[in-house]
Amino acid sequence: MVCAPFEYLRVSGYDEAVHALAEHGEEAKLLAGGQSLGPMLALRLARPGVLIDINDIDDGQPSLDDGFLHVPALTRHATLIRSPLISRHVPLLGAVASQVGNVRVRNRGTMGGTMAHADPTAEIPCASLALDAEVVVHGQGGERTVAARDFFLTYLTTVLEPTEVVRAVRFPVLRPRQGWSFAEMVRRASDFAVVAVAASVQLDPDGDTIRTADLALAGVADRPVLGEREALASLTGTTGAQERIASVAKAVAEATSPESDVHASGSYRRRLVEVLTRRTLTEAVERARRNGGAVR
Amino acid sequence: MSKRLISLSVNGRRHDVWVSPSDLLLDVLHDELGLSEVRYGCGEGVCGTCTVEFDGEPVSACLMFAVQAEGHEIKTLSSLLGEDGSLHPLQECFLRHGAAQCGFCTPGMVVTAHCLAERGGRPTREEIRRELVGNLCRCTGYTKILDAVEEYVDTVASRKAEQPR
Amino acid sequence: MNDATLSAPILDAPRTAPAEGQSFRVVGRPLAHHDFIDKVRGSLHYAADWRLPGMLYARVVRAPVPSARIISVDTAEARALPGVVAVLTADDVPCNRVVERASGGLGELAVEMPVLAKDRVRYAGEPVALIAAVSQQIADEAAELVYVDYEELPGVFDPEEALAEDAPRVHDEGNVLVTWNIRRGDVQAALAEADLVVEGEYRTQHVEHAYLEPEAGVGWIENGVVTLRVSTQVIEHAAVIAQILGLPENKVRVISSYMGGGFGGKEDMTVEPYLALLVWHTRKPVRMIWDRQESLLASTKRHPFIMRYRTGVRRDGTIVAQDIDIIGDAGAYPYLSARVLFAGAAVSCGPYRTPNASLRSRAVFTNNVPSSAFRGFGAMQVVFGYESQMDRIAEALGLPKEEVRRRNFLAKGDTIPTGETLDTTVAVGETLRRALDRLGEPTAPSGPGKRVGRGFACNMQPYGRTIWFRDRASAWLSLQSDGTLLLRSGVTDLGGGQAASLCQIASEVLGVPLDQISVYIGDTALNPPAGGTFATRQLYMSGNAMLHAARELRDRLAPVAAEMLGCTTEELVFEDGSVRVAHGDRKGHSISLAELAAGCEQRAVHTSHLGIWRAEAGTFDPVTGQGDSFPDYTYGTHAAEVEVDTETGEVRVLRYVASHDVGVAINPLRVEGQIQGGAMQGLGYALMEDMALNEGQPGSTLFANYLIPSALDMPDVEVEIVESGEGKGPLNARGIGEPPIAPCAAAIANAIADAIGQRPTRLPFSPERVLELCERAAASGRKEPT
Repeated sequence: MVCAPFEYLRVSGYDEAVHALAEHGEEAKLLAGGQSLGPMLALRLARPGVLIDINDIDDGQPSLDDGFLHVPALTRHATLIRSPLISRHVPLLGAVASQVGNVRVRNRGTMGGTMAHADPTAEIPCASLALDAEVVVHGQGGERTVAARDFFLTYLTTVLEPTEVVRAVRFPVLRPRQGWSFAEMVRRASDFAVVAVAASVQLDPDGDTIRTADLALAGVADRPVLGEREALASLTGTTGAQERIASVAKAVAEATSPESDVHASGSYRRRLVEVLTRRTLTEAVERARRNGGAVR
Repeated sequence: MSKRLISLSVNGRRHDVWVSPSDLLLDVLHDELGLSEVRYGCGEGVCGTCTVEFDGEPVSACLMFAVQAEGHEIKTLSSLLGEDGSLHPLQECFLRHGAAQCGFCTPGMVVTAHCLAERGGRPTREEIRRELVGNLCRCTGYTKILDAVEEYVDTVASRKAEQPR
Repeated sequence: MNDATLSAPILDAPRTAPAEGQSFRVVGRPLAHHDFIDKVRGSLHYAADWRLPGMLYARVVRAPVPSARIISVDTAEARALPGVVAVLTADDVPCNRVVERASGGLGELAVEMPVLAKDRVRYAGEPVALIAAVSQQIADEAAELVYVDYEELPGVFDPEEALAEDAPRVHDEGNVLVTWNIRRGDVQAALAEADLVVEGEYRTQHVEHAYLEPEAGVGWIENGVVTLRVSTQVIEHAAVIAQILGLPENKVRVISSYMGGGFGGKEDMTVEPYLALLVWHTRKPVRMIWDRQESLLASTKRHPFIMRYRTGVRRDGTIVAQDIDIIGDAGAYPYLSARVLFAGAAVSCGPYRTPNASLRSRAVFTNNVPSSAFRGFGAMQVVFGYESQMDRIAEALGLPKEEVRRRNFLAKGDTIPTGETLDTTVAVGETLRRALDRLGEPTAPSGPGKRVGRGFACNMQPYGRTIWFRDRASAWLSLQSDGTLLLRSGVTDLGGGQAASLCQIASEVLGVPLDQISVYIGDTALNPPAGGTFATRQLYMSGNAMLHAARELRDRLAPVAAEMLGCTTEELVFEDGSVRVAHGDRKGHSISLAELAAGCEQRAVHTSHLGIWRAEAGTFDPVTGQGDSFPDYTYGTHAAEVEVDTETGEVRVLRYVASHDVGVAINPLRVEGQIQGGAMQGLGYALMEDMALNEGQPGSTLFANYLIPSALDMPDVEVEIVESGEGKGPLNARGIGEPPIAPCAAAIANAIADAIGQRPTRLPFSPERVLELCERAAASGRKEPT
């Protein structure tokens, strides 16, 4: 099918984008990388009257800012992969970005786009939860910051108001004795995840025991979700022994109730959560030890 | 919706075309500019038959509107041909290895591989696979395509290595 | 090199085989020529790459429900939309029915298929109305404005349920389209006496061809003739299109563009009748391209099979009997199901001697999308059955898997269950040896929780049409005045080199360099009929037609050349664009083919020739289940090494070797390409692909969700070409289009069973299903025979 007709506006700044959103109301849709919106338009699953193209906005390059890595919304996934700054300071993000789609998707797809689109199986939103990132939102009244963990509501829906736009995402930089890991199961290379798990582990100053373990899951609910808190908290103060991690993984999996779709049943997804949680937590602990902790 | 006149830079040439905002870059290149090597295969950005170079990197022409391409450099497979119509060395590799059967995926495949080679370095076979993952082929089983691309990137890398710094 | 033998016996009767000790100049070389060059250049014009002044754009309106009565169709709003030129419904179709006779009149139900559904819808995606408009966007808008009032009816979606007496009737005529029985010997007695009876049930899924080029075409009227330039494997549908339009057959012309893949999915009509109707009604050029999503929803699929095997063997592994029952889901309309199910039954015992056989297959209607031709054509699904059985037999008897097969392999002169005697060599044993040798030493597992396993599967796949169709093909060639060669054939080109191989054959015989040969294909008006590209028949049929046409032309030209050169015809060699004297007094003298053409002109000798080649004919008796089935078979073995992640069920193919006997490889590059591509498609079938129909609706119609393998999912397919020197194709070649897709699922199943000790019996082997097997294996405590 060919998409339904629409008007097209190019804007060169976020104020202009917000203004256009306000002017056209529910008729309007923002166009960033277009890798998810494009097919929805072509299949007439979305039929906005006005498309506001924000690609002309020059919002700069990723940069370090007070313990955060500031990633402007129009940063393409390809940039995340190639940026030495990111591989050094938020290595999880670079690793995750390289798993997104194919080279064409990564060349066009943007940080703001993937967050605002809120596909529950998308990799980067999942990582943003694990790393406790912040989403910088631009609206009519200026900017506000929302924790990634509060940002996603349900399928393709976020806390963004109709006149708001994602301006940047801020990721806390890697600290000493912090380790990370990402794993996903895909049915075909480069496709959306059936289940994806992002983990981040912070060791105590002793470099041996775990202070905090954060875990985010994609593909198990209507949005990316955090792993079951109580189970993860039980790792605090432990050395992350295999049996301990295994029982946490089991508990994390049991706390999920994924649905079935064309790629996998809910029960299989839950099983994947257990396996991938165990694998990512194990790797994150190992990385944390190598990153200034006590290597065993 | 009213048509507007836009100016596209395609394969180093300027083309002034009247388009509607909803006209895909794919359709304008294929139907209006006669670049039939840019092909509709799925409209989802999945198959890669409409791959073109956009400012030097591969993109899906089915996921861009023509109006978005104004002010950018578009290149299609045709841009690789010599002025006399001769094949590009990468195309020669495809020919030599028999890396096409139905040929429908070939232009997109070559464009993606060419962008990879242009980035420099000597990608391994595994890295080539990774790069071509979004260009689906249903006929060849990929082996001959990988052989062709591998030979080309090796040749380019060797030639660069020989050049004095 | 002995060119003399090639050109010497030029006046003998048509013959397929090369002379003893013969060598080739062009045949047998890995050459990239003709369409290859245009394809790499990107300059080939496919079906969608055609534009005519004033061209309209089309859309099919399809039913969203699988089983319903049509109460009304309201097209008023669609017609009123500015830019809409035509909205057609069933009432606008002059003859709204297509009757398929796929069995050739051997007993399937005569069920009609409407071109556009009138009062009843039988599958989700069935065409109900057609739109033509001045732009695609308007056509798509209009399609949404066609209001159809459906009264949903109960449907049946499982072929076994459809067999029940009280099942909803898909067609009034009944739900069983056809039943085939092939019988030999006394199966019950043999099973009773067997040392061991191994039983197995195997199920396969709906899969999509997923050619990269969606169904497409452009039509127009020229001199009162409805002309369609479409992506099709079979231009001969022109006759059916004429019938639908109520026109004489010679008022419809079909031209086949080079296809962007077909795999059987363009063997039935796709866009043709709809395009023709819109062209006929609007009198304007029309283009129709099916969306990918539309193609996934509504194009024909591979038949899901339910196969039940009971195999009786002696203690030494010798097969004494096969009792096989196959149910194929035909979907809502007949298409080619009758023939697919025949092929399935005919080779369901595989390349093994089977003295007693009871082979039954049934094609059953459901309210699923219609199934029809797909590379492998019924002979493919059964490999999963018979090769799983062979492994089970070996496991049960404690015999090596290779040995059990070797003890049962067919050989030339053996009789197969249809009662036919094999009259060419069966080199399956050689393919087995080559495949296993190439696989070499086993790989170690990559980590804990990983299991490595190996498996292989042998197969036989017919090439050439079912023999009772009395197949024939023709080819025409002409030596032009400048010594170049022009070929014409009705062959359609799927991308398998169907046109280019004709050039190679003509070049071999007449010595015209490949770059001086032009080939025109696929046109019902201008080119001699070749009978469609399917059933691995074109190298066999048109290759032979071209070979014989070229030889006959050479036989006519040779006396002229001999006269001009003052020698005998026996002393001539046709090569490099000239005719040379190779022996005798005048040795070394030569004339160019242009000079020869001029000499022919002076002597009023025709330099063009039409050759017709007829395949062997036969009959099949559906009552006794005995008779002739296929002209010949291509044999092969695939061997695989896989690693199973026992925690996630993911299967990674580590190594994959495919070996086939192709008789003689006309172009080794293309042979390798066919094998690699076929195997990759088979690996997708084994591990990834599934339309996942639920109550007649596909799990998804997104190409993002129909998973064909990418460059990263599977390893390289390593090819071992066996050339036995025997085959019924030109110069002793065997067909290789379909055979390499067939053994993959069985090879992977056997490798998985080897790795984890549990056998998958349901396709595809998704991680989820494999994980269940891993858990079952863990529960049973140890790896044990399955």
